[in-house]
Amino acid sequence: MLRVRRYTIFLFLLPTTLLVLLINIWPLVYTFNLSFTNKSLFRYDDYSYIGLKNYTDVLGSLHSDFYRVILLTLLYVAVCVSLFLLIGLATALALNNKRIKGLAFWRLAIILPWTIPSVISALVWKFFFNYDFGVINQFIRIFAGPKGGIEWLNGSGFTAFFAVVIVNIWLSYPFFTVIILGALQSVPAELTEAAEVDGATSVQRFMNVTLPLLRPAITPATILSAITTFQMFNTVYLITLGGPIDNPGHPGATTFVMIYMYKQVIGQGVTNTPYGYIAAVAVVIFVILFLMTLASLRASNVVSEVRR
Amino acid sequence: MSEQIINVHTSAVPGVAATSGFPVRVAKTRTRTATGRRLRDNLGLAGVYVFLGIMTLFALFPIYFVIQASLADTQTLYSTTLALFPSKPTLGNYQYVLGQTAFLHWIGNSLYVCSLSTVIGLFSAIFGAYALSRFRFKGRQMTLVALLALQAFPGLLALTAYYLLLQQIHLINTLEGLALVYGAGSIVFSIWNIKGYFDTLPGELEEAAIVDGASTLKTFWQIMLPLALPAIAASALLNFIGGWSEYALANLIITSVDATNTNYTFPLGMFSLQNDFRTPWGYFAAASVLASIPLMALFLWLQRYFQSGLTIGSVKG
Repeated sequence: MLRVRRYTIFLFLLPTTLLVLLINIWPLVYTFNLSFTNKSLFRYDDYSYIGLKNYTDVLGSLHSDFYRVILLTLLYVAVCVSLFLLIGLATALALNNKRIKGLAFWRLAIILPWTIPSVISALVWKFFFNYDFGVINQFIRIFAGPKGGIEWLNGSGFTAFFAVVIVNIWLSYPFFTVIILGALQSVPAELTEAAEVDGATSVQRFMNVTLPLLRPAITPATILSAITTFQMFNTVYLITLGGPIDNPGHPGATTFVMIYMYKQVIGQGVTNTPYGYIAAVAVVIFVILFLMTLASLRASNVVSEVRR
Repeated sequence: MSEQIINVHTSAVPGVAATSGFPVRVAKTRTRTATGRRLRDNLGLAGVYVFLGIMTLFALFPIYFVIQASLADTQTLYSTTLALFPSKPTLGNYQYVLGQTAFLHWIGNSLYVCSLSTVIGLFSAIFGAYALSRFRFKGRQMTLVALLALQAFPGLLALTAYYLLLQQIHLINTLEGLALVYGAGSIVFSIWNIKGYFDTLPGELEEAAIVDGASTLKTFWQIMLPLALPAIAASALLNFIGGWSEYALANLIITSVDATNTNYTFPLGMFSLQNDFRTPWGYFAAASVLASIPLMALFLWLQRYFQSGLTIGSVKG
């Protein structure tokens, strides 16, 4: 702690405060304010305050598009994150095996997808899932004959959902591998050896000794990854544009929350962009993200750091 | 108890022990379980290698495919049967991408936007991070909590607000405007990350400098800032990569001004290149390789540096 004059503190805080006020706080406050208005493209200047109308539109009916989108997003988060965990854990355990040779090679191979700009990965996978020329259908045709193949992205909602799960696994599980491997390497060998001497099987040793010791590393990583998956936009949008859409004017099989909001602005068939409604959706998403962030902070003890 | 007896037996008369029934039987079962275990271990090890092999294939196949596709001619790519090697390798795709598309403009634009946003974000973050780490003032804790809340607010949620803000300051459809919006996303993370790193540096450093008569600003700029370089570099790299692949906000803020989209950023350009099915996919593959290799090299080179700057700074305890 340094003892300094008050204006020194003020000067240090000034650039940060000014910029945060302009580009972080003002847009947030503006969006919040906007969510109580009926501003739209046709009512750009002569809009008025309509109270909670936008919020009742978003949340009022259980059959609304918004709940469908939220449930779909949560399903996506649950499927993706549990697969990240499972595959990340399996690869980390494999790499942590003392008898595996060439660790540096396997490690590099597995984290290499991480280094590729996600926009490229997304577009490459989009081509892989292409019906006529995509590698996946070409591979299927080796076994199923020239008429084989699955209409991945423009067919059923299920295959499109499956496709964006696969892509997200490819992009994201290395993060878990790295985190879990780091934690595994800090588990003292004496503990598992002691359990072995006591007659614990390898499964028992893993479940009762190793896994509890990994929890402090896994829990924050899981929540963090749930947050990023929840607000995932780029990858999914570039591959499916939120589709396929069965019911025109309504969200499609991969229209997750951020895509839903985005498509209110630039989606096809949107003529009168409903800025007020969009802002209300944004505020609701913000509240969900904020709660998830709080959970992750509690899990990683950052809150206690603030109090120091 | 019985083990002890066996031990006495075997150690007392090692040569004869084999002829007496009891110890021999023990020795036999022991070797049998040992081979059994070795076999099981080897099978397990083989299984681990197979698993790692599959995961490596999953990780590397798309990368391999794009590299070979970038060398293939158009006919090979638009075939409905699988081809894993270009029959007549050609650099034509690279020539086309570099000569006929605005690829270099997109890369240049993205470099500019990402650098500018990193500079904006970091310059304003370092002072605040230092103040939050070292000074005690009213509202400090509240500021830290408020910053955490802001971090939960992705810029995309405020798209209307950003559009309006940029319109007001006449930066709509400019790269500078986009950089400002990206800076918003990076500043909060940078403050936390760099503040956490400052927290780990001992306070004696500044006290000594101030006793020697240096001003607070001078101490900060000449002593503390160089020490925090790992955290600053890690924040810079993350900010840079974040902007490098961002599509949604760029798509709203930047509108094309000419036929080849020279004012696009890299993600917008790549999307335009691939979305248009009149454009052969080999061009897209070549552009991907050109754009990925420098970033991959940078990442691998910075990897160690990058990890220490992040783990020490933000992920504590």
